Amino acid sequence: MVAILPGSAEQTILLARADAADPGDLDAAVRAGAFDGLRRAVRELGPQGVIAAIRAAGLRGRGGAGFPTGEKWAACAVALADRRYVVANGYGADPAVLTDRTLLERDPYAVLEGLALAAFAVDAHEAIVAVRAEADLAVRTLERAVLEAEAAGLLGADVLGSGFELTVTIRPVQGAYLLGEETVLLKALEGKRGQPEQRPPYPAEKGLFGRPTVVQNVQTLAAAAWIVANGAGRFAALGSKASPGTTLIQLSGSLAAPGIAEIPLGMSLGDVLALGGGVPDGHRLKALLVGGPSGGLLPPELLDTPYEYDALRAVGAHVGSGSILVADERACVVDLGKLLTRFCADEACGKTIPCRIGTRRLAEIGERLANGTSRQNDLQLLDDLGHDVVESALCDHERLTTLPLASALRYFRAEVDDHLLRSTCPAGVCHPTVVAAAMPAQRGVLLS
Amino acid sequence: MTLTTRPDDARPGETEPLAAAPVDARLAPVENPAAGRRDNRPDALAPRDTLTPLDGTLAERLVTTQAPQRPLSTPAIRIEVDGRVVEGLEGQTILEVCRDNGIEIPTLCYEPKLPGFGACRMCVVEVEGEAHPPISCSRLAEAGMVVRTQTDEVRRLRRTNLELIFSDHNAYCLPPCQNKCPSHIDIPGFLKANAEGNFREGARIFKRTIPFPSVLGRVCPAPCEDHCRRDEVDEAIAIRDSHRYHGDQVLRAWTEDGVEPPVPFEQQPKTGRRVAVVGSGPAGMAAAYYLTIAGHEVTVFERDPEPGGMLRYGIPQYRLPKDAVLEPEYEAVTLLGAKVECGRELGKDFTVDDLLNQGFDAVDIAIGCYDTNKLGIPGEDAEGVIDGLEYLRVATLGLEYPGHKGSRVVVIGGGFTSMDCTRTSIRQGAADVTLVYRRDMKDMPAANGPYEELHEALEEGAQAIFQAGPVRVLTDDHNKVTGVEFIRMRLGEPDASGRRRPEPAPGTEFSIPCDRVLLAIGQGPDLAWLPTGGHGLTADKRGRLSADAVTFATARPGVFASGDVRIGASTVVQAVAEGRRSAYAIDAYLRGLDLEAIRTRQTLAEPQPVFLSIVPFTGERKEPRHRLRQLPVEERIQSYIAYEIPYTRSEAVAESTRCLQCTCEAIGYCDLRRLGIEYGTTLATLEPKYHQGAGYRSVTENRFTGINHDYLRDDSHAFILREPARCIDCGRCAQVCAEVVGASCYDFMRIGFDTLVTTPLDMSLNDTPCVSCGRCAETCPTGALMPKPRVLQKYDVDESRCILCGICVDACPYDALRCGPDNELSHTDRVDPMIDLIAIAAVDMETEMTYVRRERDWAIRAQREGRIVPPDRLLPVLPPQLVAAGNGGSHGDGHALGSGHGAGVGGGPRGDEPGPMPDASQARHP
Repeated sequence: MVAILPGSAEQTILLARADAADPGDLDAAVRAGAFDGLRRAVRELGPQGVIAAIRAAGLRGRGGAGFPTGEKWAACAVALADRRYVVANGYGADPAVLTDRTLLERDPYAVLEGLALAAFAVDAHEAIVAVRAEADLAVRTLERAVLEAEAAGLLGADVLGSGFELTVTIRPVQGAYLLGEETVLLKALEGKRGQPEQRPPYPAEKGLFGRPTVVQNVQTLAAAAWIVANGAGRFAALGSKASPGTTLIQLSGSLAAPGIAEIPLGMSLGDVLALGGGVPDGHRLKALLVGGPSGGLLPPELLDTPYEYDALRAVGAHVGSGSILVADERACVVDLGKLLTRFCADEACGKTIPCRIGTRRLAEIGERLANGTSRQNDLQLLDDLGHDVVESALCDHERLTTLPLASALRYFRAEVDDHLLRSTCPAGVCHPTVVAAAMPAQRGVLLS
Repeated sequence: MTLTTRPDDARPGETEPLAAAPVDARLAPVENPAAGRRDNRPDALAPRDTLTPLDGTLAERLVTTQAPQRPLSTPAIRIEVDGRVVEGLEGQTILEVCRDNGIEIPTLCYEPKLPGFGACRMCVVEVEGEAHPPISCSRLAEAGMVVRTQTDEVRRLRRTNLELIFSDHNAYCLPPCQNKCPSHIDIPGFLKANAEGNFREGARIFKRTIPFPSVLGRVCPAPCEDHCRRDEVDEAIAIRDSHRYHGDQVLRAWTEDGVEPPVPFEQQPKTGRRVAVVGSGPAGMAAAYYLTIAGHEVTVFERDPEPGGMLRYGIPQYRLPKDAVLEPEYEAVTLLGAKVECGRELGKDFTVDDLLNQGFDAVDIAIGCYDTNKLGIPGEDAEGVIDGLEYLRVATLGLEYPGHKGSRVVVIGGGFTSMDCTRTSIRQGAADVTLVYRRDMKDMPAANGPYEELHEALEEGAQAIFQAGPVRVLTDDHNKVTGVEFIRMRLGEPDASGRRRPEPAPGTEFSIPCDRVLLAIGQGPDLAWLPTGGHGLTADKRGRLSADAVTFATARPGVFASGDVRIGASTVVQAVAEGRRSAYAIDAYLRGLDLEAIRTRQTLAEPQPVFLSIVPFTGERKEPRHRLRQLPVEERIQSYIAYEIPYTRSEAVAESTRCLQCTCEAIGYCDLRRLGIEYGTTLATLEPKYHQGAGYRSVTENRFTGINHDYLRDDSHAFILREPARCIDCGRCAQVCAEVVGASCYDFMRIGFDTLVTTPLDMSLNDTPCVSCGRCAETCPTGALMPKPRVLQKYDVDESRCILCGICVDACPYDALRCGPDNELSHTDRVDPMIDLIAIAAVDMETEMTYVRRERDWAIRAQREGRIVPPDRLLPVLPPQLVAAGNGGSHGDGHALGSGHGAGVGGGPRGDEPGPMPDASQARHP
């Protein structure tokens, strides 16, 4: 169980009911405000009203990419089809990040309400919650919640007496890192190998079984429920202008008090770090890995950067899984970059050539840096290959896999040069000297 | 839109009634039966059926009824591609629109039967206004879209992709041995047949490219063995000794059991055309062989009393027994119908005109090189200075050269002839034989030739002096040789052949006393007959007969030249290759084909990337080469007996089994190779000078070389051969198998870098739902899935029982049976399932070359229409000559395009010096 850091948001949205004694207790949840939004949607707003509210709130997808949620729902609602689906992505791909799982365990009704709202808005009658199969507690909590909500008429054949019919299925999925990608998750739900599809067409037009499908992260759904219940204006007032609202992050690494926190988007990385108690005494902040395994390594100089989709992309990181890993002087960025790239390369689905072979070659360049066997022009190659992989990528996994090494090269050039030119690892993690003496010709002499 | 039209609104003559009628018919029956079906089922079990209308209203039906058909007319859209406005249909992808309009976008994973998959990323194009280039197989074309298919950016992305593929592609196109053989013999093919003990089939495969396995098995310098990949494991395969064995087996079967030697191809019916071949050496006789098989009537004219040329009069008995080997091999040619007329000399007994007047439709001049070069030093005309060839001519007849016994002999030269002179002199009882060569020992032309023979000569008692050049011949008062004065040579700069040119070192003169000097410093063709006998024929500036390097055509129509007379003194294998290729050229000429087109194609096809081995062979069991044993020295110098003891059967099989079979059956069909040629390799990168520095333009010089996979071949299935090492994970087989066939034998397995499209658990196809339809092999862009080569001798069809049902036609996975004008039964002998070079040439024409030619035509057309041709659009594909022709294209005819260059058999830069096998030594200089 991961600690939830207290007092992290001026207004708690996603984790408002997180400290309930029994998260599966429907009555208690309803007393605390659950399903207010759905009731309001069904009785007052109607499907168009729900989409308008989400649009007005400016909610963006919390799965990492930050696509405007209202636009997605609107596109799905107008797509011509005999049936539509809504899928809640609660897979939580990053193995080190438990935010989505925590939300499902602590407040399943928020997610179910958001799911029902999305289905209501796009006129879908089937909704699926994809959960990591290993997350046993989350699966059980959800299953109980669905049964209770159906018994109470909040879901099922006649939602709140409106005649709207919604079947919610809990689908525990087992798979790989890549299931965080929406088209991959849809493939997996279809019973096929999890491999991404070329977009466009987006799932909102052609998704699960070829039908228009809204795929939303569970946090997004919970936020949507809050928006409809409490008004778009209150939500838009939170967070930054471009990315309103709050999000869950997981702080880990060299911190005094690691854990999960709910923060308004736009908070500076420095403030976020302070929530986790800062770097322990006696150690020095060296780098922040923002965005999970495929995130970017940011130097301490960038602590003013707001934690927000566009600002992070601009500095070479991304929101991603909501993970912020703090590395102190004991860590080596070359080592981190190489390990992360290798992890992402190994988790690739293997569909496209730049991803299957290209990302592995990136990892190999990192490995050569770390063990002192770099070839001439390796850094140039890293740059060129990274660029080509991004340009011809099929899905974001491929694009983002280039980030760890690219950001290491961008912000920690001195340390990379130590490995390459001086055969030393300042952090003492790598051993770039093993082959150095034997192969002087192979050192990167063309660097300057 | 058409759905709302009611039938009575439509007027005849428009498309509306057609569209409306089926709609009406489709809508009508929906109402009752569907509703009725639903009512009959218990509610609890009924799955929710949103397709069935909830009520009978028209609106509900319109919403819920799907329209699987395309509307009868699809609106047309216009998009701009590479500056051209092209028209397509709404709903088509960019790729489909481009292909419909003849614009080529490369793809590897695109299967036209299925929607775009997007795995290979080769079809990326630039669309104006988009940050990342989309892939054209999946992106729908939209009206007004501006697409560019050949920008630097997308070409670079494609090349990166290809390089990435090749960095994990543990497969060869051509095996290096086959590539290096001047005649491109299917070496893995005949070694495989040998390994199976099927020596007759091995000989047949060999004879597809060279008619004389036994002759070449004795005299070939075997450039193939220098490049054998087995060398990476232990030692190169004894390729030459292996074909020598199967050749000898065929000859033995013929002489002892009367089994005629195999014919490589089915002999064609008589064409009625007559061809005269002048010269019965290896080139002429090879040409006669293949021309006869092609159905032409061939007469070979030979000036000597017996056919064979250099084989008979230049190569001593101990290397090539005339009665036991040469004659039966030649008899195999006459057995097919070629006639040999001996004692007829060109220029003396007849002229080229005479031949043409006698009704020959074509003449192939293959008279070889008999004019020994002169040293150009004082005293060369002294008594006792003998032309090496003349000496050998006497010796090969079994006669003793007058006065040779007991004399002291100096042989000058370092090639085959010098070695033959040296060793023959020993056998003729010379007291003292000294070989003097101006270059170093390691510069001797080929490892399997003089270099190896030298050791045998030294064993036999000869002496050798290297890096010394003759200065003058010492004579006595009677102009009789008493010795030769030499000067030491040191090595200077490398010359055009890549060998360092020797330069004399002043003050190092020394002399060798002797009675005889044999000159063996190379020969040129004897063209003395030209003024009298060859109207329209000319010699080039090196004194050789001018003829095209590809079409072998001389300036005179119908007259061709091949072999040493065209390329200068060379090896037997090169001469045979010339002969065979000239035979195909003559055949094409006689069939009325456009030789210029063939030449363009061949010239462009010349640069072939050889994808080098990435992983050293580590798992192979070491098994050193079986060497031929030799007779003891004392025994062999007594006579002209062939001193090498041939393989036993088990040795021959064991040696052939060592072959790693590094060949690809898909060569010629492979999209990856075609794109590799187009994107990774230009003509220039094959030149040695491009192999240095930071340039990485050739696919072989891969930037991304790293860890890679080596998968096992799976030939457990009867019809489909799986070679996963050649798989590029495009997923086409998986898609086709699942979506078209419905069997789902394959899918992507494992994740990350180890992903491979294969069967579940890599099981044999026999254990999957495979229906042996062959669709996977058909769609595979590389050689990862192949129709399995099968050796079927002949189909026996009982026509009296055939009911012409056509099931065999439908069922045949390879389209081997077709509904023809008569009936669908095949009578064709199917003994030839292996790689066929002629077929490859034909396929090459269809694949890579059509593309290249289309590029060329495009360039010419663009120039003519005054459009600016961006050079980057041309350069990677077209050789400079064609670019020039395209840009200067006031005359776009084939003559202008092809003139002035000739890619010879060996390729690469060639020195002025006619030394045999320049390529072999060139390869040693990186």
